[in-house]
Amino acid sequence: MTGGALLSVERLTKRFGGLTAVEDLALDLFPGEILALIGPNGAGKTTTFNLIAGVLRPSAGSITLGDVRIDGLPVHRIAALGLMRTFQHNMPFAGMSLTDNILVGSHTRCDGSLIDILIGRRRYRDEEAAARRRAADLIAFVGLQEQVGRDVSTLSFGEGRLLELARALAGEPRVILLDEPAAGLTPSETARLSDVIRAVAARGIAVLLIEHDMHFLLPLAHRVVVMNFGHKIAEDAPDEVVRDPNVIEAYLGGVAPRSGHA
Amino acid sequence: MADLFELAVSATASGCIYALVALAYLLILRPTSVINFAVGEWAATGAFIGVAVLTPLAWPRLEGPYWLALLAVLVILGALGWLVEVLTVRPLIRPGISITSPILCLLGMLVIFRESLTILFGADPLPSPPPFGFKRVAFGPFAGASQQFLIIGVTLSLFAVVWLFFERTVWGRAFEAVALNRRAAALMGINLRRVTAFAFAAGAMVAGLAGLLMSPLTSAHYMMGLPLAIQGFTALVIGGVGRVEGALLGGLVLAVVEQFGARYLPIPSGLTLGFPFVLLIAFLFLRPSGLIAPREAR
Amino acid sequence: MRGAGSVLTWLAAIVVASTLAFMLGGYATDVYRKMLIWVALALSYNFLFGIAGQIAFSHFAFAGVGAYGVVILAHKIGLPFVMAFALAMTLCAVLAFIVALPSTRLEGFYLALATLAFSQLVLVVISEGGELTGGTGGIANYRLPSVFGHAIRGPWYTVVLVLLVALTLWVLRRLDVSTFGRACRAVRDNPDAAAAMGVGVARTKVLAYTLTSTLAGLAGIAYAYVDNVVNPPVFGLENIFLLLFMIIVGGSGSHIGAIVGAVFLYLAPFVLEPIVGHGFLVVFGVLVVLTILFQPSGLAGLLGRLSGRRTA
Repeated sequence: MTGGALLSVERLTKRFGGLTAVEDLALDLFPGEILALIGPNGAGKTTTFNLIAGVLRPSAGSITLGDVRIDGLPVHRIAALGLMRTFQHNMPFAGMSLTDNILVGSHTRCDGSLIDILIGRRRYRDEEAAARRRAADLIAFVGLQEQVGRDVSTLSFGEGRLLELARALAGEPRVILLDEPAAGLTPSETARLSDVIRAVAARGIAVLLIEHDMHFLLPLAHRVVVMNFGHKIAEDAPDEVVRDPNVIEAYLGGVAPRSGHA
Repeated sequence: MADLFELAVSATASGCIYALVALAYLLILRPTSVINFAVGEWAATGAFIGVAVLTPLAWPRLEGPYWLALLAVLVILGALGWLVEVLTVRPLIRPGISITSPILCLLGMLVIFRESLTILFGADPLPSPPPFGFKRVAFGPFAGASQQFLIIGVTLSLFAVVWLFFERTVWGRAFEAVALNRRAAALMGINLRRVTAFAFAAGAMVAGLAGLLMSPLTSAHYMMGLPLAIQGFTALVIGGVGRVEGALLGGLVLAVVEQFGARYLPIPSGLTLGFPFVLLIAFLFLRPSGLIAPREAR
Repeated sequence: MRGAGSVLTWLAAIVVASTLAFMLGGYATDVYRKMLIWVALALSYNFLFGIAGQIAFSHFAFAGVGAYGVVILAHKIGLPFVMAFALAMTLCAVLAFIVALPSTRLEGFYLALATLAFSQLVLVVISEGGELTGGTGGIANYRLPSVFGHAIRGPWYTVVLVLLVALTLWVLRRLDVSTFGRACRAVRDNPDAAAAMGVGVARTKVLAYTLTSTLAGLAGIAYAYVDNVVNPPVFGLENIFLLLFMIIVGGSGSHIGAIVGAVFLYLAPFVLEPIVGHGFLVVFGVLVVLTILFQPSGLAGLLGRLSGRRTA
């Protein structure tokens, strides 16, 4: 639809039985952009996320990444096409080292066959070496150098969140989806996370995030899409959106746009 | 024709035993999600307790009355089930610990139970006397051993009681609530520990009863547990893990297929041993919800 | 360089383990050979259970398919040994793949039950196979034919078993530290997150199951020429429990743990049986329960802690 969009969502609809969670949603996401998806609880944000990531199958509409239709593809195929995500509740691989956790994110970038691995084929060895270098860079990028030797299940919530981000970045995504990245973080962790997300966008990666914390979101996002009852009710720059009467009304019934921590 | 009716009685009795073992699984599986493979050994334990109380064959050479054997089975198995839960399952059912830990732990318990039985009672099969003797009984065309009719009667009554318990009592509701959602049930003020401990105790009692009931037909033997555990689980999968009625139906279907298949299908008798496994595989792959679907559609 | 050092370590271990074969004799040789088979099986089972997180009860069934396969093809049908060997391995791989496709979709312990049913069916088939499988008595009175003109006899066959263990360990370690091993562990720890990172969960599970079951088949083929007898009970349920216990006690997910657990539980009865008779199985049960409750990383974790290092 719009020229240059990396991720393009059109007429996206999801029904659960008689309930319509998302209806006729359109979204465009551009390289290097930070787009925030906000709305009261039950507005359909998480459903939208799950539709884009492939966890749910849309009832109607299309999702295009680059020039590939991704709606209906399994989760791991979508990831391989360059769309990675973090989870609202950290989901580290608890039995693996921190570096290995990040290397899993590189899975689609060094996918040698079992034979390639066993005979040590050159191409696989190079990919593996590149993945290890990238993992080391990412650990430094998100600032987890001190934590490398630690059991990942002992990481603080904020450190776990940075690990999730590094893991998703290891797949060299074109689009990254962040599900409430600031939820549960301390103010200093939130500030650090903002810096990291800006740096991610500066690399040309498109960032789509769901967020409640307006203090975190307003200075960070380039554009905000507001949802309510499954519909998009506003789309604008952050400081415009908070003055939009539709948005204020949507939040007055439930929760006003919070200016504190979730 | 007489042959057919006799086979029907025999299959129903075996099916009832499978159903009881399936019920033992179900009572534990519903509130805890734990598949307790040791139920077969609990049934074997019930059988051996029966022999110990009723006959002079094994210590304590009591030759006691049947009601005492029944009481001993229920009390001892109830206590063992509760103890197993407290010692090996309770510490392992926590968020963050995979549900396979208690299941594997119970596999360890399985071996402990079985080998302890071998040490206590030896490796030879011990016959167990039926409470109503060896005489044959006939109801119309249906003829069989008195023990087979006892098994059928006790099983049907027990299933009726358990069904009423789940459908009609507050405790049964609490059980179901825990089965559906442990966290929500805890928030509602249901004591999870007590429900879980009760589930294990009740499951062990039902398994022990199954062992006591079947022992006059098969003798008590230390190797009886594992086949029973497999057959009981197969019955559960056939009937569906969601409902009490499923355990009964699954047990009957399994026994009918086994016994009628062995009698009437034109294949070598040895291969009929494979029937339960074919059924188990078929249901796991093709109809994992079993014949009776759970009430709450997911 | 590290590479040269590790080659030397491998060579040294193989030489030491092989030398042992020439120093032992009679009954000790038999014990040693069977221990090596157990170690090979434990290594591949550890990859399946400890690393890929699949509780499957079919490992001995595939060992049985390999053992019976090679014996029937080479000695009943009379194919050249190398061809019989290749066909038996192929049979294991294909069968494992066919079993894995539907089974690995089952969650948690349901996989265990489906594979348990499968292995019981294999047992029924080999017990009822009549002339071809020798029924419950199995097949005996055959000998390992000459391979490319070499007759492998006596301690040299033990060396073959040492090489079997070395090959199994080499393959599994190499895969473990690769993108495949990480995918297996990720699927074990959190399949949803693994999929979100681009790991094909179903593909990874099927590959892990097929690979380890084929390695079990290879160990089964080697076992067929230890006693020159194959019969059904060896491939039954009892041994799969023991194998599982070896992995749990040794420390699941660790190659060292699999080796230590297999050696420990295989040799323990020789010490325990004179003292407690058959009671040693109770001791095993208690050991498993205690390990799960108090030392989930098993003997490998204990060794790691004692030597002050993280476990391999």
